[in-house]
Amino acid sequence: MSLLDMDERILKIVELADLRSTPITDLKEPDASGVDVGVLEGGINNTANEEVAHKMRDRAKILVALGDCAVFGGIPAMRNFCGAEAALKRAYVEAESNEPGSQVPNDPELATMTKTRAIHEVVPVDFNVPGCPPDADVIFHVLSELAQGRKPDLKDDLLHWH
Amino acid sequence: MVQLTINGKLVEALEGTTVLRAAQMAGIHIPTLCDHKELTPYGGCRLCIVDVEGARVPMASCTLPVNNGMVVHTNSDTIKKSREFILSMLFSERNHFCPFCQVSGGDCELQNAAYHEEMTHWPIQPGWSDFTVDTTHPYFILDNNRCILCRRCVRACGDLVGNFTLSVAERGAASMVVADIDVPLGESSCIKCGTCVQVCPTGALIDRASVYQAHDNQLEEIKSVCVGCSVGCSTKIMVRNNRIVRIEGDWDGAVNHGLLCEHGRYDPTNESRKRITTPQIRKNGKLEPVTWEEALSTVANKLQPLTGDKNGIAAIASTRLSAETLTAFKELFADKLQSTLVTSIEEGIPTASVTRFAEKHEAFEGKLDVLRNADTVLCIGTNIHRSHMVAGFLFKRNLPKGTRLITIDPESSELDDMANVALKTKRGSDLALIRGLQAIIVKEGLGRTPLNLTDAGSLIEQAVSAAGVSYEELSQTAQLLARSISPVILFGKGITAQRDEALVEELYRLAVLVGAVDSERHGLLSIKGEANSLVASLLGLDTAFELNGQQVVYVALGDDYVSKSLIERVSKAPYVVAQTCYESKLTEQADVVLPVTMWAEQEGHYINLDGRTQSAQKAINAPENVRDNLLVLNEIATRTNMTMAADWQKAILTRKSSVTLN
Repeated sequence: MSLLDMDERILKIVELADLRSTPITDLKEPDASGVDVGVLEGGINNTANEEVAHKMRDRAKILVALGDCAVFGGIPAMRNFCGAEAALKRAYVEAESNEPGSQVPNDPELATMTKTRAIHEVVPVDFNVPGCPPDADVIFHVLSELAQGRKPDLKDDLLHWH
Repeated sequence: MVQLTINGKLVEALEGTTVLRAAQMAGIHIPTLCDHKELTPYGGCRLCIVDVEGARVPMASCTLPVNNGMVVHTNSDTIKKSREFILSMLFSERNHFCPFCQVSGGDCELQNAAYHEEMTHWPIQPGWSDFTVDTTHPYFILDNNRCILCRRCVRACGDLVGNFTLSVAERGAASMVVADIDVPLGESSCIKCGTCVQVCPTGALIDRASVYQAHDNQLEEIKSVCVGCSVGCSTKIMVRNNRIVRIEGDWDGAVNHGLLCEHGRYDPTNESRKRITTPQIRKNGKLEPVTWEEALSTVANKLQPLTGDKNGIAAIASTRLSAETLTAFKELFADKLQSTLVTSIEEGIPTASVTRFAEKHEAFEGKLDVLRNADTVLCIGTNIHRSHMVAGFLFKRNLPKGTRLITIDPESSELDDMANVALKTKRGSDLALIRGLQAIIVKEGLGRTPLNLTDAGSLIEQAVSAAGVSYEELSQTAQLLARSISPVILFGKGITAQRDEALVEELYRLAVLVGAVDSERHGLLSIKGEANSLVASLLGLDTAFELNGQQVVYVALGDDYVSKSLIERVSKAPYVVAQTCYESKLTEQADVVLPVTMWAEQEGHYINLDGRTQSAQKAINAPENVRDNLLVLNEIATRTNMTMAADWQKAILTRKSSVTLN
């Protein structure tokens, strides 16, 4: 959503860069041929997130961590105070809205919850873009600089962690 | 003078100056966190490190004295990298969640320091331990998760306020800011001055009332002066959309240097009384809303016929009103309407005898500054630590450094616990006691100046028996005073309420005798009372308010409180006009109510207890149908066909002041 906040400026980005995959297009991940820039938002909360992080790192020449969750762990990281097990129990067993006898899902196909981490704790990150969320100007600046082959420099009004 | 080079620039500084201060004076910015211009340097955060040529490691510039020929670099690549590392360490030590912290986004010095280094993230994760949040205090919250252990709060509570409530317990990563011996803040020795909140660089100490209501850059800042008492602390009133969000102490304030007490910082925004927003006249026993025109004409028609009538009008004003307003009040009622009973609600209790003594000894009192290096302070008849708290801070903070304290009072107070000698005297024995002290000093030959005392022996005996103290205590007090190099004597209502000029005279004699007062120093101060206590006294508004059948009583109360005793007296008057802001027992009896501006809605001058003239500024607009205090008096004057011409600066010169006015 914050990506779209840059309104019509997104057209300028698309002129310079080829958007290969996004969560809302057919192709959800970059394919094996790789991309120049991979933008990953959200922190690492479970084993599935870890896989995505590794895949993005392998397939993107430049990896950008977008938003406070990706850069710091963000709000989901508050769960680290009590731990994944206690959090799951609270959500699936103890919460007032659960039917009696509810259990924590343990289907083997489900990803396992881990300690919430920033992306840079799992794979090396080239650019961290903080913000909760990063505002439109920040995201536009980062994408347009990268699209023009430059390193985005975040400072003054473009640098905020809140 | 010492010469050193900082970033290639030649800088001169006095010996003893730190490299940080020298750089700041030369306009060179060095990032800091634990440093504060009013606090002694601590050297704890290490953010101010600089490269000094020839030194083995980077040095903390806040604690490094300048040296001749020193070559300093504040912005080398290694220093920049070190600062990033230090900040990463600070962030990862605790749980700093920026997204929902109310100081995030411009008001957090820690975050701003990171932005200054252009840090987009920090490489080490927090330890995920759960530090306590203390919410037991009525005015602020201590969230240890956001604390960087800079100790600014500890230093402020001790070095600036002299209360020493806050300290740091445990060591290393387990260090925590605690109150007293680790008790909840709400149950501690905290006196609720809020200085710790004002100095905190992060969101660790946050003001409950103003949290999440605005960032600093969304607030309008109005510099003003507190009208809570006669100390006259400089304030910064933070306003948003015509509402006072927070009151802060002005670090540049000449009297208080940033300090405020509970009564100046929190009470003014905790108003619970009901505001009056329309003029009212009592008709058939009930107060009915009327127009300003009707209210003012009614008052004028009541007052004018009583002009010159000795027992026609009695008028009393609050000393929270400005000098301009008090001057107009006096001119209207005393000079023009010629009432013989025109006074202030303090009735001269804190000031009358002092001003009378000034007729013989003009400007005999000293300035508050004299407390800064007093080696002995005598507090007689004053609860300064409760009534004029910031003045109390000025010497309380020096007690651990060796300043001695003597208290003399019939009642006990917390101040006694900090005193070297605490004399509990019988009421009314002050004259005998002071003479007894003089007598001991003369007898022991300790006086700085000669003083002729007939029969020192019997004076001492009388002091002991009248005051109910032992000879040893009396002697100890006298010795302490007389052997001091820079003693200061403070006296307050306990002395001045007795309305005896002789008491002031004997205190003056004692002060001269022990060298508190001489050609260079004036170490004798009367604390006085409310904001414009001195102005009221100089205008002659310091007589007792004893009604004698007056037909109309005019009470210019403003936003002040009205005492039970005043209500009792006023209830006997046939017609009462109340110029006031809030509903009270006074308005329940009043025949006319004129709603006026409160302290933040008006401007005017105030002279504090040591003669300093300061001005209070208007910070917010009053409700629509409310009028300015001064304006109301002028409008009544117009309607009673009086022309008002008095200039407050000239008017206060009609009597000699006990303290030099500047």
